[in-house]
Amino acid sequence: MKRKQSARTGYLVGLLAAVFIIAGAVNAVGSDAPEKVTVVYGGSSWLGHYPAWVGIEKGLFQKRGLGVLFQNFYASSGRMGSLVAGDLDFASTGCISGIALMASGNKGFMAFGTPDSYATVEGLIAKESIKDIKDLKGKKVAAPFASSAHVLVLDLLEQNGLDPEKDLTLLNLRVNEMPAAMSSGEIDACAAWTPHFNKLLNAPGNHLLADDTQFSLYKKYRLGPGPDLLVVRKEFAKKYPNTCKAFVESYFEAVDLLIQKPEECADVLVKLTNLSKEDQMSVLKDIQWIRGSEQKALMVQPGKFVEGMQRLAEFLVKHKQIDQAPNVKDWIAEEMVP
Amino acid sequence: MKKEDKGVSYLVVSVLSLLIFLFLWESLCRMGFIEPLFLPAPTKILARAVKMIENGQLIQHTLASTRRVMVGFMVSSLVAIPFGIFLGSSRFFMAVFDPLISLLRPLPSMSWIPLSLLWLGISETQKYSIVFMGSFAPSLLYIIEATKSIDPLLIRAARNLGASKLDVMREVILPGALPQIIAGLKVMLGIAWTCIISAELVAAREGLGFMIMNGKEYFQTDTVLLGMVMISITVMVIDIVFRKFERSLLPWTR
Repeated sequence: MKRKQSARTGYLVGLLAAVFIIAGAVNAVGSDAPEKVTVVYGGSSWLGHYPAWVGIEKGLFQKRGLGVLFQNFYASSGRMGSLVAGDLDFASTGCISGIALMASGNKGFMAFGTPDSYATVEGLIAKESIKDIKDLKGKKVAAPFASSAHVLVLDLLEQNGLDPEKDLTLLNLRVNEMPAAMSSGEIDACAAWTPHFNKLLNAPGNHLLADDTQFSLYKKYRLGPGPDLLVVRKEFAKKYPNTCKAFVESYFEAVDLLIQKPEECADVLVKLTNLSKEDQMSVLKDIQWIRGSEQKALMVQPGKFVEGMQRLAEFLVKHKQIDQAPNVKDWIAEEMVP
Repeated sequence: MKKEDKGVSYLVVSVLSLLIFLFLWESLCRMGFIEPLFLPAPTKILARAVKMIENGQLIQHTLASTRRVMVGFMVSSLVAIPFGIFLGSSRFFMAVFDPLISLLRPLPSMSWIPLSLLWLGISETQKYSIVFMGSFAPSLLYIIEATKSIDPLLIRAARNLGASKLDVMREVILPGALPQIIAGLKVMLGIAWTCIISAELVAAREGLGFMIMNGKEYFQTDTVLLGMVMISITVMVIDIVFRKFERSLLPWTR
């Protein structure tokens, strides 16, 4: 009886030891695995979201054990609001919204990269009779307020000695409402970004007055009026570091794919943008993608992009768009920059 | 306790209740329980108000919105009153227009933005039209009901005494329904103000709706809340003016 009991005890101890060893082995193997397998990304049809879309469509996130849900938002402000409210985990945002949120003092998010540089897919389009920025005096100009296009207009007007409050009528209009307003003659010029920029430019009677290359900060920092910023919810990043690492790696693998195989990427991007393949390729041709290996120099050391963002924040204060310029560096998650 | 004394004590209760609410709100913000982005402290909103009064923007925005609401609402009322009385007096024409009114009634003002842009462009008329469409159908229904509530005996008596249909409308129905119509219009004026956010979403560069949406774009929640407070205050002031107008228009109800 006693021998049977001790044999049974021995079996149980052996079984428990085996379970612990196996569990330990599994744990050791899965220690880099994403803690959270579903990630919500805030995007739109804007080019700053192309890598996320390509990553989803080409299974780049999936191969690292991540499922990414692409949530559409028309405006960066809505996207950033949802991010800090906890409904999104990652996003790409126009810098203006990012800076505005920093200026509000909210520390619920961090920035870790900039995926692209563009200068010819956003600009000020005018009727052909308007040859120069100075010809905008007394005219009606539309731009979506609190956007990169709005900042571009303010900067161009300033460079040409025009006051948006006194010398012309600057209206707040969404980019998708601009074609009708231009064709009906209710506005004389408008500032928009791709894909609406392309549609407006292709409309008869319109021509390009200026694009982002004429933005004052572009000349020094190669920074457009609203470059894209990759952001993550701070609480999410702290809680799920492996998930974030997997996301960042997949994201920049998608950037590499956009550089190496643009035509293959265009095939999946048209589903997002509703552009023709020809127009999509034309947009892709104008984008300078920034690889993962280039991020540290821009975001950390020497950090020219961050310095440019600081100047952009000061520009927004000067034009009374925000109350004070935040210290942008405080929002950079250096540990997440690839 | 005299009636006036009771009134004063209720007023004191209301004021105290408001002050306690504001105090609690301010305290929770200062102690860090509420993130300023989601709900700024009352003092922050007040600071924003002072800044915007000093640079003239607050008055400018308030006047712009008031103009848009009053024009849209006045046109809506001028159309709805005679039309409502007419439909309320005629079962045949009520049956004719009822399906259309039923279709229009539940439509929120925002749903009219795309069509208004196509029909009227981005002018001020487009903004007036949003307020008009948002307040017309509910006003019309209110006036129809007010008209139907007139005692049919009064109408029969007038007809028996030789009054024509137009005389009946002018001398019996209109004065009889007017108190209810005015009461309904006061409510509709509040509804007209709810349309201002929709109206100022497109091609506006001033107005309380614009101010709220622009504040939202820049995460200036204090500006958003200030806009909301200004809408409430403006409606309250207009309501006081409306009541004085009501007393002079309806002396027999005093």
